[in-house]
Amino acid sequence: MKRSLTNVYFLMALACLLPLQTHAMHIGEGMLPAGWSIAWGVVCAPFIIYGFLNIQKRIHATPKVKILLAMCGAFAFVLSALKIPSVTGSCSHPTGVGLAAILFGPGITSVLGLIVLVFQALLLAHGGITTLGANTFSMAIAGPIVSWLVFRGLKKTNVSTAVSVFFAAALGDLATYVVTSIQLGVVYGGFGKFLAVFALTQVPLAIAEGLLTVVIFNILEKYSKSELKELAVV
Amino acid sequence: MGTDRYAYLSRLRQVDPVAKTVLSTSAGAVCLLCGGLAPGLGTLLVMGILTTVWGKIPGRVFVRFLGIPITFLLLGCVTIAVGIYDGNTGGVWGLSLGSQVLGVTPASVHQALCVIAKSLGVISAVYFLTLNTPMTDLTGGLRRMHVPMLLIELMDLIYRFIFVLTETAGKIRTAQDSRLGYQGGFRSLSSLGTLSSMVFLRAWKKADNVYAALESRGYTGTLLTVSEEYRPGNLCYGLIPLVWGTQMLCLLLEGKVFG
Repeated sequence: MKRSLTNVYFLMALACLLPLQTHAMHIGEGMLPAGWSIAWGVVCAPFIIYGFLNIQKRIHATPKVKILLAMCGAFAFVLSALKIPSVTGSCSHPTGVGLAAILFGPGITSVLGLIVLVFQALLLAHGGITTLGANTFSMAIAGPIVSWLVFRGLKKTNVSTAVSVFFAAALGDLATYVVTSIQLGVVYGGFGKFLAVFALTQVPLAIAEGLLTVVIFNILEKYSKSELKELAVV
Repeated sequence: MGTDRYAYLSRLRQVDPVAKTVLSTSAGAVCLLCGGLAPGLGTLLVMGILTTVWGKIPGRVFVRFLGIPITFLLLGCVTIAVGIYDGNTGGVWGLSLGSQVLGVTPASVHQALCVIAKSLGVISAVYFLTLNTPMTDLTGGLRRMHVPMLLIELMDLIYRFIFVLTETAGKIRTAQDSRLGYQGGFRSLSSLGTLSSMVFLRAWKKADNVYAALESRGYTGTLLTVSEEYRPGNLCYGLIPLVWGTQMLCLLLEGKVFG
């Protein structure tokens, strides 16, 4: 009897924490030890440098690209601040990982993502400066690369654009939180534990984000063919 | 937006941003290196006092901002504290599943509390910087610290465009909401999709206009502005040993109590 009572209390305590899922994908300030913070920063460096050189080359060819990219970065920030409804009745925020990767490619996305994460950490206290490297790797490098590869791969197999956009965005989202789980798991042990907690909250969100990205992409395709063509050049 | 609104009202606004950055990062870094319960709370206390008393940021504002990251801190720390243990582990409390127990032990709770304290310490150190330094001063400071020019320029431009796009998105959202655009899951998704793509299109058009305006005024590829005059930040540098001393003292005290 006493044991079952403990169980009930424990479940009640856990249930109180279910609504806390907004921005669960960012690793908060100070959550990682100093060594890991630096290590993730070092891992990110080659990707960021590649993206940076890529941007520099394009700006050199057409100076207007700088303004366009800045607008796109601001758009990514605003998108990530919007609330997205989820199946479980709660809501979270879209990451924009898939959309950015499809539109700009992974190199440029890594640099824009880095800047957006800095602003989120400083202005909104989402994520953090000490965990910037880890967050950049999961949200601005690993996720976009998966999205981009999925999108390119599915396009080649003659699947409709909507389907490839959906899978690119949803899988990019999932990849981001799998990487986040690994990042937390290697520090605190029990990678499966983090994965289980995030799986409960993130799978519906990944589906929602996939659907949202399809809606966005459809409208963009309908009304701004020329901009999309220009982006393929950008 | 966010912390920036208060940074313009701070008493430390005119102080050299590089000095503030150095103080904030050195406090945060030592807090992260010390770990533990007491150094985290000590850093929180010192940086909180510096922000509210020296920088004249209202205390309730500081506390409210501390509350923002708490949600994901808690989620992360619950995951650290809760685990599956053997039923015979000492002091384990939770849901029993046969011979195993899904629950918490005193050690895991202590670890989770340490992480929370450490995080709060680092967060308060970052808040000292962001609640006392507007973003434009911060990017100016980064420029003096030799961060690549292109990165700074992108940051400056993105920062400016954020406000324009937020306003656009807010107006569209109000318009959609007043026409019942956010009733039910699927309608919300489609409204949000329309909103996002419209914001994207407007951003694109705006970028075109901005570029045309810049070009007609002789834009050659860089936007240079004269940096502001700042008060020298000697006091900031002087405070670093004090902050470090407090953190070390906390670490020693904690070692005495728990060691």
